[in-house]
Amino acid sequence: MKDYILRRLLYMVPTVLAISVMAFTIIRLPPGDYLTTVIAELSASGAPVDSGTIAALKDRYGLGDPAYLQYLKWISRILLHGDFGLSFEKNVPVNALIWDRLGATFGISILTLLFIWAFAFPIGIFSAVRKYSMGDYAVTFFGFLGLATPNFLLALMLMYVSVRYFGQSVGGLVSPDMIDAPWSGAKFVDLLAHIWLPVFVIGTSGMAALIRIMRANLLDELYRPYVVTARAKGMSEFSLLLRYPVRVALNPFLSTVGWMLPTLVSGEIIVSVVLSLPTTGPMLLRALLSQDMYLAGSIIMIASLMTVLGTLLSDILLAWVDPRIRYQ
Amino acid sequence: MRPIFGTTKSALLLLAALVFASAASAQPFKEAPALAELVKAGKLPELSQRLPVTPYVEVPHQSVGKYGGTWRMAVLGGGDNYNFVRAIANENLMRWTPDWKTAVPNIASSVDVNADATEFTFHLRKGMRWSDGAPFGADDIMFWYEDIFSNPQLTPTKPPIYTAGGEPLKAEKRDDLTVVFRFARPYGLFLQQLANGFGEYPTLYPKHYLKQFHAKYNAEGIPKLLAENASAKDWVQLFNSKISPNFLNVYWQNPELPTLNPWVLTNKYGSVERVVAVRNPYYWKVDTAGNQLPYIDRVTWDQVNDVQLALLKALNGEIDYQLRHIGQLPFKSTLFDNQKRGNFRFFTVWDHPANDAVLLFNFNIADPIKQKVFRDKNFRVGVSLAIDRQEIIDSVYVGQGTAAQVSVRKGNPLYSEKLATQYTVRDLKAAAAALDKAGLDKKDSEGFRLGPDGKRFTIIFMVADVYGLQYPDVMQLAQRQLKEVGLDVQIRATDWSRLTAMQAANEQEAYLWNCVGGESDVYTDPRCYFPFQTEAIFFARKWAQWYGDHATGEEPPAEVKALMAAYDKVNAAVDDAGREAAMKAFLEASAEQFFTIGIIQGPDKFGIAKNDLKNVYDPLPQSGSMWGPAPMTAQMYFDR
Repeated sequence: MKDYILRRLLYMVPTVLAISVMAFTIIRLPPGDYLTTVIAELSASGAPVDSGTIAALKDRYGLGDPAYLQYLKWISRILLHGDFGLSFEKNVPVNALIWDRLGATFGISILTLLFIWAFAFPIGIFSAVRKYSMGDYAVTFFGFLGLATPNFLLALMLMYVSVRYFGQSVGGLVSPDMIDAPWSGAKFVDLLAHIWLPVFVIGTSGMAALIRIMRANLLDELYRPYVVTARAKGMSEFSLLLRYPVRVALNPFLSTVGWMLPTLVSGEIIVSVVLSLPTTGPMLLRALLSQDMYLAGSIIMIASLMTVLGTLLSDILLAWVDPRIRYQ
Repeated sequence: MRPIFGTTKSALLLLAALVFASAASAQPFKEAPALAELVKAGKLPELSQRLPVTPYVEVPHQSVGKYGGTWRMAVLGGGDNYNFVRAIANENLMRWTPDWKTAVPNIASSVDVNADATEFTFHLRKGMRWSDGAPFGADDIMFWYEDIFSNPQLTPTKPPIYTAGGEPLKAEKRDDLTVVFRFARPYGLFLQQLANGFGEYPTLYPKHYLKQFHAKYNAEGIPKLLAENASAKDWVQLFNSKISPNFLNVYWQNPELPTLNPWVLTNKYGSVERVVAVRNPYYWKVDTAGNQLPYIDRVTWDQVNDVQLALLKALNGEIDYQLRHIGQLPFKSTLFDNQKRGNFRFFTVWDHPANDAVLLFNFNIADPIKQKVFRDKNFRVGVSLAIDRQEIIDSVYVGQGTAAQVSVRKGNPLYSEKLATQYTVRDLKAAAAALDKAGLDKKDSEGFRLGPDGKRFTIIFMVADVYGLQYPDVMQLAQRQLKEVGLDVQIRATDWSRLTAMQAANEQEAYLWNCVGGESDVYTDPRCYFPFQTEAIFFARKWAQWYGDHATGEEPPAEVKALMAAYDKVNAAVDDAGREAAMKAFLEASAEQFFTIGIIQGPDKFGIAKNDLKNVYDPLPQSGSMWGPAPMTAQMYFDR
């Protein structure tokens, strides 16, 4: 086990390096750079853009350097000083920008994961055990609905409903009059009143998928001989269910940690843009659009790193829970 | 018809302002209750110490207001700097009157111009202060001139509006309250330029604060500052991270920066959920009753990432006054239905571009055949006559707008019906004849016209979906219409940055864009009427470069040079009448050249204001270079 973890950790080094090169390449792929954005915005505002301003900015942001040099500077500063560079647009070091937002992103993602588990687990078991019952059909129907509805559409619909019929202020994680307030019990309650919306919206599609997986896996197990044996021995139906087939069918729940994290983080981007949440999503989108390359690169990099870590975590969990998995 | 060039009206206004000013100085000035308390607590000097001896007297649009309240708006998460600029930052030496017809002194208490418009003497207000209480005076303007404008590192090339005939202005301090600007050539439009958005350069730089970041004043201290600031490598970068002359994001991310604006920033745009600006206790304007402006305590911008969310906020009554993002035609019906719920009303915005959709052919394209055809006026006339503008207006713009060329709008004294409507009525026969004359007289088996080289003449149009103007849809209709006269148009959908990059490399053949200059802003920004500048509208980049600096670009043909000379005459004119006559002659000559093909002049735009918000200008004129409503926001108040 120790060797296994160590080996996996070693594999991560080249993976992460490759990711950093990819991230950097991708954000440099679109034509132009941050200055193109500045020029476009200036001219949209009717401002006379003179070449002097542009030259000064180019020098300031080091955009005249060749790409490999920019990459080397960036990555060496990250490795040596933990310095992710400067956000051109926001004029502050990336470090000062992203950690709060990453916190919010992962907060929402983890809450969503818990939400998905809390509902997908019992519903999945229920619809497998009561296969082809009215309840199964109802759950399946809503599950497919959740799977088929794009997250952003659901967010827009729910927002409209809560504005139109409940008069709730939408957007953000707290009410407008709470934004400037210091943290308090009231603010926390207010946060809870807002956070269910993104959690629900991001959770629906993942939940639907997991319900289906749980149902399918459990159906495979339910008719195995060992279940029949246990039943024949007079074990109560409920504890039999939980102790044997569910435990075996549980694997996807653990592996989800690995693949749910990236989906949540990316699903979160669109939903967060629609809902204006203070997470990395809108910031990444904006950074990509304005070609604020160090900010975009750093967010991509950290999100990928988290995914790699998540995969590692889920692999270790799986190996630990399921002895059938070999350490090779 | 709109009142035109209100010379008598603005003269009356000025007179009224003067009368009120003397009346105001006779009575003691009054201040907001919150500030009065600070004074009482000894945290703020008395009002008489904070106001200039002769404050600027703002004549309220409707009535003298009351203090208090928060003006709430929505701002996009990034790149929305002008949301702030246009709300609270437009304090220049000069300003426009609220009808945007005349430029009058603002920060300057008065200005003298010499007979040939080469020397401008600005008299400043005694006792005027920055928002942190430090005195404002000629030294601040000279700091800008000597240490920023004349410093090659901070200003590598001089902004065009501070140059005339290729020579930058020369500034001289006459005394603590008087500054003289001199130009090498007559520059009659300078005062208008100073009233425009980017006229803020000379009065943007508080010397007492900024000199700590300038190598000339703080050579010993800068290494320490650099060590503290990871984002700057040298003092130039450090300086540029504290202030931006173009109001780029940096300006909205430095709450320490003293300003002359009615409200001052308290936090940094981009990294917070809500940007807050509070009343400047040293603001130098009063109303006619002697109340220090602004009336409204705070301005807040909630950060949203999507304009739809700004719309929802408006429906919910969480926006008190806004036109940016909200004032889009597709939103109007939703807003209309929710007026009662959100407790707001509409106001009209006169944002009048010269044209909302313009076909711009690249005259400097490298391909010699295309270059020759594009430069042929017959070709452009043919294209213009082949386009069915009404069909485009009906199917893309839901019937709103007028078929027109790039021209000044009806109602402006510069309007000419001939220029606005020439070649706008579809005439396929005449179009075909014009295209024949342009050398495209042969057709291939599919009915497409052949170029002079015998190959099919194909034009690649770059189309980006910007400003919500539905250009891809417009171009598809135009493509079909042009096919009827045998022109092969290929559409390439692209985005803004790609287009900008192509233009910088002079690679595009043609594209669709909008054009400013539909009202008097055409005086200072005629970029669609002749090759004027190089960074925004591109139909003859190299000629424009040549116009800016004869050592660069490409020398244009004689008729284009004549047009450039005609615009130089506008600049040389000293009085309003002479300027108007010269401008009319220039516009006439420009229409004769017919560089750009306009399709539609769009309808009026709109904004929303809370029902209890008063002193709201309706209609509100604004344009690309006239940054409304900023000059009129300090007098807005809530009647609660």
